[in-house]
Amino acid sequence: MSERQTTPDPPPGEVPSPAARFALFQRAGGIAAPILTAILAFFIGGIVVAVTGHNPITTYREIFNGTGLSWFFEVGSHQVGLPWSDASIWFPWNVNDAESEAAFNLQQTLLSATPLIFTGLAVAFAFRCGLFNIGGQGQYIVGAMVAVWVGSSWAGLASGLHIFLAIALAALAGALWAGIAGFLKAAVGAHEVITTIMLNWIAYWIGNYAFGQGGPLQNKVNESVPVSSDVVQNAKLPILWGDPLLQGLHMGFLLALAALVAYWAILNRTTLGYEVRAVGFSPEAARYSGISVARNYFLAMAIAGLFAGIGGACDILGWQFRLGVIDVQNSQIGFIGIAVALLGRNTAIGVGLSALLFGALLNGTSTRNLDPEVFQPELAGNLTLMIQALVLLFVGADILILWLFSRFRRLRRLPPAAPTTPEAAT
Amino acid sequence: MSDKGADVRRIHWIAALLACGLLAIGLACGGGDDEGSAGGETTTEATTGSGEGVQVGLVSDVGRFNDRSFNQSALEGLQRAEDELGITGRPVESRQTSDYVPNLSSLAREGFDLTIAVGFLLAEATNTAATRFKDSNFAIIDYSVKAPPFKTNPNVQGLTFATNENSYMIGCLAGLMAERQGGRQVISAVGGIKLPTVDIFIAGYRAGAKQCNPQIRTLIGYSQDFVAQDKCKEIALNQIAQGSQVIFQVAGGCGLGALDAAKERNKWGIGVDRDQSNLGPHILTSAVKRVDQSVFLTAEAVVNGEFKGGTDAVFDLENEGVAVGKISDQVPQEFIDRMNEVKDQLISGELTAPATL
Repeated sequence: MSERQTTPDPPPGEVPSPAARFALFQRAGGIAAPILTAILAFFIGGIVVAVTGHNPITTYREIFNGTGLSWFFEVGSHQVGLPWSDASIWFPWNVNDAESEAAFNLQQTLLSATPLIFTGLAVAFAFRCGLFNIGGQGQYIVGAMVAVWVGSSWAGLASGLHIFLAIALAALAGALWAGIAGFLKAAVGAHEVITTIMLNWIAYWIGNYAFGQGGPLQNKVNESVPVSSDVVQNAKLPILWGDPLLQGLHMGFLLALAALVAYWAILNRTTLGYEVRAVGFSPEAARYSGISVARNYFLAMAIAGLFAGIGGACDILGWQFRLGVIDVQNSQIGFIGIAVALLGRNTAIGVGLSALLFGALLNGTSTRNLDPEVFQPELAGNLTLMIQALVLLFVGADILILWLFSRFRRLRRLPPAAPTTPEAAT
Repeated sequence: MSDKGADVRRIHWIAALLACGLLAIGLACGGGDDEGSAGGETTTEATTGSGEGVQVGLVSDVGRFNDRSFNQSALEGLQRAEDELGITGRPVESRQTSDYVPNLSSLAREGFDLTIAVGFLLAEATNTAATRFKDSNFAIIDYSVKAPPFKTNPNVQGLTFATNENSYMIGCLAGLMAERQGGRQVISAVGGIKLPTVDIFIAGYRAGAKQCNPQIRTLIGYSQDFVAQDKCKEIALNQIAQGSQVIFQVAGGCGLGALDAAKERNKWGIGVDRDQSNLGPHILTSAVKRVDQSVFLTAEAVVNGEFKGGTDAVFDLENEGVAVGKISDQVPQEFIDRMNEVKDQLISGELTAPATL
């Protein structure tokens, strides 16, 4: 008889091996749990909306339209121009954001998702090494500061070189900033949560000083506002989609997608990634097999900071073009990145989708999109915060979901039958 | 692998995907209605208003509409314009810096007759939107269109406030109160970030105090923050230790900490932007910036077709764009009379309040 497998199937009625069950739990927890977490959070959010006297279905529908994701459902017959030529081809969706409100909203959603991808990766990469990188905010700010400084200097440089220099130096700055925490952990065992949070505050105050009144990076044109100089035209990222005069979707979005691929590749296809993951699973076991735990702590934090620094640079060169004291004080991107990484389970696809979800939430609940008749604008911002918080709360609920799965399996499993002869199994 | 395991795995995948798909389709299918796109405006019961059909939008900064000062005051002005003039108002709240340009441009795209941006944080975004939408009217509160980044934008009007004038009056009052109290003749001001719109208050305050009490000395400190209350409280306590009897807060939310310090040490506090007398009996008065009045008058100008883009509209004591808030009843009437004398002198031009330190 032909054998398609190296091990024979267990006879019907017998329990699968513990390894098989664990593999199933891991995979189920891998994708089903985050989705169910998000659905549960939205459901509870809907209950709260209903309690305030509004219709949750219409509210969520308005929010969905506001995110621009409804653009994919508006299939029609349109033309889109090909790049670097005058020809245009048929395209099922309307890319003109002056005509299609959904197109404009989608641009803004993707624009918001871009830095979230970067800060999410910053947290996720460190987490794979067993480190809690709470310093995404500081690393982002440091990257943004360097990017705005480089971007506003040397007006004569060629565009490509200028952009490359700005992003590279911002990445280096973010890596060094996080590397401080990594080095402290590696050398003296200082807990990275403490050091990264303190480094956040240091970056915050450096920003306050640098762009404040009389600060070294404050612009010279209008000395009454505590804002940096503007990024020069050559250093601005090209706009992929949308009106370049207004906030269009910039090339940073493609960089973010590339970063997701790079994250996956580093972790799963390089020796460094292997060591990082090994240290993440068990530092003692890794040390036993000859992996330098200290070196990997430092490198993991540095690479995490690199991601966040690039995120800061993309925002500055893509749409912000300047950085002010108020921006440094109000920015929360690094902290939302923690939620993104947690919901995305520290995987590349997870971080990407989760960043899209959070970016969509930030834009969908924006009051320019919500009809005041449907839902009061003042409450809409609080709804976003609440859903974000619920998502974080239920992230820990994957344990619960896995327990539910196991109960479901126990119900399905037949009682073990009397041992059957091998012939019956073929 | 057992077939059962594969079955269960498959079912979980299918269940998860189905759930998402159903949810997405359910939401999207509903979005085909005519109310799918944003654009609802608040309808109002127009009273005597001749402003029917005039649409005015208001875009806040990241302080949001419940900041108890600037943005909230502007919203009140819009609501008053809705009630009295019958216009259609649309407040749009910005929650992050990336909201500024989309908020302004979406209102302009919808054909609003006037879009008002609240505060200097929106200057760049307003310039961008005004350059792109040359046929729409814009106004920016507390910023001059003669200052960069604005070049020659014929469709933008700056709404500026002569807060040096009401601060001058209040400085006079503070000086008189310090004189009556005796002791060290010191008053003080706690500023947020050192900006011209903050310094203009303090400059008027210092000059007015000097006018009514020549021995007065004014201490000035900056917290570099408009939000964190502990910073302003720290500065105020230091100033009180140096003998200050009246603390003038010009620091928004942070300044509430300074007023707290005044309350703790039994000194007078002076509020800013809105009437903050409800904070307690320690509030001498407030330097009120009638942002709501500016929004109302600008909306009225649009209704009457008198909107003048490319210039600044100045709101001062004369058109009630700035005012003095509720005065504590512990203040003797003669001081109030003296203060009103100064007010008349300012309006007539006999006295001028400096705008810079």
